[in-house]
Amino acid sequence: MVWLVTLDELLLSQAQELRRGTTVLACLTLLEERQYGYALLETLNDAGIPVEGNTLYPLLRRLEKQGLLVSEWETDDTRPRKFYQVTPQGALARAGLTREWQTLVGSISQLTKEKR
Amino acid sequence: MSTNASTTTGTLTERYVHEVVRRVPAGARDEVAEELRTAIADTIEGARAADPASAEREALSDMGDPIRLAARYADQPLTLIGPDLFPAYRRLLKILLATVLPVVTAAVIGLDVLDGKHLGEVIESGIGTVVVLGSQMIAWPTAVFALVERSRYRARLTARSNRWTPDDLPDLPPQEKHGLAGAAFGAVGNALLLGLIVWQHSAKPYTAHGKQLEILDPALWSGWIWPVVAGLAALTVLNLARAAAGRWTMPLATGYAVAKALYALPLAWIFHHQTVFDQEFLTDFNRDWTTPDSFYTAVAVGLLAVAASSAVSRIRQAAK
Repeated sequence: MVWLVTLDELLLSQAQELRRGTTVLACLTLLEERQYGYALLETLNDAGIPVEGNTLYPLLRRLEKQGLLVSEWETDDTRPRKFYQVTPQGALARAGLTREWQTLVGSISQLTKEKR
Repeated sequence: MSTNASTTTGTLTERYVHEVVRRVPAGARDEVAEELRTAIADTIEGARAADPASAEREALSDMGDPIRLAARYADQPLTLIGPDLFPAYRRLLKILLATVLPVVTAAVIGLDVLDGKHLGEVIESGIGTVVVLGSQMIAWPTAVFALVERSRYRARLTARSNRWTPDDLPDLPPQEKHGLAGAAFGAVGNALLLGLIVWQHSAKPYTAHGKQLEILDPALWSGWIWPVVAGLAALTVLNLARAAAGRWTMPLATGYAVAKALYALPLAWIFHHQTVFDQEFLTDFNRDWTTPDSFYTAVAVGLLAVAASSAVSRIRQAAK
């Protein structure tokens, strides 16, 4: 019983590890259209890519620092919101990451097929 | 409705935001604070809970520990001393606290006892030494190591783009004959000799014809004993520094040679001129025997030879 719990926890943390890189790709894809943090979080969660606010918000800031996103404060709404959107640089990064992702999916499915 | 909720529940969010941003670099503080406030307010609103207070608690719990969130925003080390430096740091503190502190405390207590102080005073100065000296011994290395950690982190960030090659590996430290134990031994030996010289001056331990006498000539204290004492103190410190550095570096070895000269040259001079011992002590001690001139010459030459050879050996170790 104890062992099962640890396995579950192990799986959870390993799955998180797997998801970590995909969050960046998902953000770069979704932010083709400008969006603010919380709305992006909702969209990601609805799309089946669970991500926590405490991961997403610092990540957006980091991607902006790296020049992959631009941001703009908008004050029209009920409260001021920071909207993010991909830069041309970000679009290039997205294309590269997408290729990488597809190669990875191909390789892994090939591997798991062989092992079966 | 939403503005209402944020005014009634603002304090908890404000406290959380403050806890995060005070750990974020100053330049990014206002912006991160604004972002966080918006995100938290959006989350509370998104929960559509009947009770905004509990929705706020929920939102903040989901955001998690402010320290960890700040670390994600800050993108810089939140540790004072990282894994790279920690072993050296721990080793240095261990040497200082387990070896140097007891020796110095014992020396202070010993001098107090010899000065004939009361037990209470002796205990008091013993505790005082441990507290004051011990806290200095912890504080200074910590400050220095933290500064080194900071500068190394900066260097790593800027060097991240450069590819690491095996050429970047540092050389193996040279094999040493006299390791850490030798340095600790040297430090304690020099400190003891220094303590003895001061002690025989203050305690006048020799009794002859009902008179308390010093062993060394008291006239030395208005002259040649000072460079000897200073040299011994410097040798103690340099041995400790060598223990921390892990080996004799060129600056340490040079300092050692200078300190050794400072100590040995005047002492050899004192022996050569036969002005080392208190005359009354010597007469009483020798009875009807006279110290031959050759004794003084032999000691003077021996001192110089030992000092020169140990200084040369340190410098050769450093040059390796």
